[in-house]
Amino acid sequence: MESQVKEIIARVLNVDIAVVTDDLSSGDIPEWDSVGNLAIISTLEQELDLEFPLEDLFDLTSVRSLIDEVNKLSDV
Amino acid sequence: MFDAPHSPVLCDMIRHAVNSPDKIALVEGTERVSYKRLLANVYSAAGYLQSLGLKPGNRIMLSAQKEVEFVYLYFAAHLLGIVNVVVDAASPRDRLDYIMDIAKPLVVFGNNLAVDGCRCCSFGDIPFDKCDAVSLPSDLKATDVADVMFTTGTTGAPKGVCLSHANIAGSASNTNGFIGTCFDDVEALALPLSHSFGLGRMRCVLSVGATLVLVGSFANLKSFFNVLETEHVTGFGMVPAVWQYIKRLSGRRISKFAGQLRYIEIGSAAMPLEDKHLLMEIFPTTRLCMHYGLTEASRAMFCEFHSDADNLDSVGHPASSLVDVRVLDDDGQPLANGVDGEICVRGNMVCSSYFLPQDNHDAFHGEWFRTGDWGHRDSNGRFYLTGRKKELINVGGEKVSPVTIEKAILSLGVADCACVAVPDPQGVLGEVPKAYLVKGDVALEIDDIKQRLSDLLPPHEIPVQWEWVDLIPRTSSGKIQRLKLKS
Repeated sequence: MESQVKEIIARVLNVDIAVVTDDLSSGDIPEWDSVGNLAIISTLEQELDLEFPLEDLFDLTSVRSLIDEVNKLSDV
Repeated sequence: MFDAPHSPVLCDMIRHAVNSPDKIALVEGTERVSYKRLLANVYSAAGYLQSLGLKPGNRIMLSAQKEVEFVYLYFAAHLLGIVNVVVDAASPRDRLDYIMDIAKPLVVFGNNLAVDGCRCCSFGDIPFDKCDAVSLPSDLKATDVADVMFTTGTTGAPKGVCLSHANIAGSASNTNGFIGTCFDDVEALALPLSHSFGLGRMRCVLSVGATLVLVGSFANLKSFFNVLETEHVTGFGMVPAVWQYIKRLSGRRISKFAGQLRYIEIGSAAMPLEDKHLLMEIFPTTRLCMHYGLTEASRAMFCEFHSDADNLDSVGHPASSLVDVRVLDDDGQPLANGVDGEICVRGNMVCSSYFLPQDNHDAFHGEWFRTGDWGHRDSNGRFYLTGRKKELINVGGEKVSPVTIEKAILSLGVADCACVAVPDPQGVLGEVPKAYLVKGDVALEIDDIKQRLSDLLPPHEIPVQWEWVDLIPRTSSGKIQRLKLKS
């Protein structure tokens, strides 16, 4: 799941997968701006068939937090 | 302390450095810069620019990085009468090449802005801590060009807008006068500095001696909210799309800052009425100031939501007594109240010309700058926009504003939409509207939308063609890029 989340983020932001490290956060690179962030969230929701709870969205600011959230939702 | 009589904004900053030397001017991460140090670093940067052989009237290109070094260089150029061409280094290469070709800067400053055939310096190369003696030019005037800002070019190639020292000071003074930003304020600046809005906020804050906290962007809202809290921020600027983003990702969390935020400036694009009402509910005592303006005529009008609550569909009144707005016909003649025409502006902040002589053709009716926006004035002196003149859809001789159609469609619950003119497939009417839609929370089919629009719009305003898209293309300041949709 971790590599799949990173692959989606890299594809959505149109950056090399090597850029998508665990600690990369929104705002760290020009591509991960507010529009990019919304695109990441909606693409993860669509392709992984899940829905991020509104109360969690605010904290999903890094690659690691997105991976952890996807793992959490997939376990349910 | 040195003197800069040609630059009223620099004069204000110098006054603060003399009267309140330890007052914090800039915050970037853990770095805090007092007004005294800010002006010393501006002076050092000016010495560096002179050591490169730059002279008054020369142009430099500055990458709009949200760093204190940008601020030093920007005002150092003003001090010496050197003209800034401020750009976003992340712009498409062809745009940057076009600007280089037109503006021909002698030196390019920026960490990510390597340009072939031109001397390039990164911010780190500049010895800001060394205070060389600067030979200040004595013959500079407030009417000299301070900045050339390239507009986003939604209707063609980018245009260079020449703004004088007096223009940028006029805009700051008009804006501060309306919003009320003052010495005790602390502002978080997350807007890009490559645009008139963000750069203007920087000048507004520094000219009144307030504190400017540089924030990368709004992308990481958690970081932005953290800055609001730790720096005790009292104001910020945003575009309507940012408000959508804040709502989507954080719900109403921002309401916890309602008591400390004295003002929010909003601008660069239209904001849905529901969002204006929501902001008023969340921020009952904050001045919510929405501007209307262009790079060429920055902050020409303002509407403050609470004090003009019955007229939230208006773009407001002229920003100050030094700004005049008129609605003119194609011949430059004033139109009566209530009659749509072109919004035209004159005032202390209006640019005197574009960089290229050919761009000045038809840009003014006498001293009145033609905004290209279509609208009217009411009997109380408020102005209302109904569309962009060049974007009007001519349906069999009936002029249709795409904004009118978009507002009606948005009221039905789609997330976003944009309308453009397309050739009538029947070959009868000339042009007909086409709508691009982004799905929202409400499940709607095109047939439902068409059906419900028939209650809201006359038949010729209902789009003939429809297309679902993932995103409406917008400029980074939020304006719909209709030409991209057409192509």
